[in-house]
Amino acid sequence: MPKATEHSLRIETPPGDVNLVHELLAAVWENSPEVPIEERYRFETALIELASNVIKHATSSNGVSCVVRVQSTKGQLVAELRDTADPGDVQLVGRVMPDDLAESGRGIPLSQALVDELEYSQDDGYNLWRITRRFAS
Amino acid sequence: MDITTRTVGHDVAVVTVAGKLNIVSSASLREVVASAVAAGRLRIVVDLNAVDFIDSSGLGAMISGLKTARNAGGDLKITGAGDQVKLVLQLTNMERVLVSADSVDLAYADA
Repeated sequence: MPKATEHSLRIETPPGDVNLVHELLAAVWENSPEVPIEERYRFETALIELASNVIKHATSSNGVSCVVRVQSTKGQLVAELRDTADPGDVQLVGRVMPDDLAESGRGIPLSQALVDELEYSQDDGYNLWRITRRFAS
Repeated sequence: MDITTRTVGHDVAVVTVAGKLNIVSSASLREVVASAVAAGRLRIVVDLNAVDFIDSSGLGAMISGLKTARNAGGDLKITGAGDQVKLVLQLTNMERVLVSADSVDLAYADA
């Protein structure tokens, strides 16, 4: 039976380098070789979208710190992003893809389409994003 | 990520991207396509064979390139999308906007 693993990192913005999240996930996949390739694509894309969103919209006079935590257990991947950015007006319900020729606005609806659950909350002054993807194992 | 450009014929630019097309690298792709169009290479092919990851900012860069090319009377097509790229194109309904050619050579074969 696959073992449960947990990996985490902290991103400071600026500069905010999303490639660190790719590196974190490379370590996750190395320790969880049983995760099917399409599930890796789905989870990695959703998580990168959220991390990019935090980096892109990081507005705070003192810079923004984001802790990314990824858990891999049997048949399930979970990621949490906890960041110190100013709370945004985040709308998750009813998000749809923008017009065909729009150059932005696809990140959140794409993330929602990729995973089973995408949640956002504010907790003790932090923004908390959480994605969950379940798959047959 | 690496981006290289070569010219085919008198007005086709083949833009070959390698690596991850994400928020870090998408600005470079925008600039490369805009430069090609400004130099008169109005028909763009973005070769994605060596791209192992794309996100919505990478899509945005290609849509920017498509609009830039069309505004100048040209076009932009893609080729070589791998499984992750295809998944993102499907879920964002971009397959019909970013037209995919079977190969670089076939992208503008009928023009």
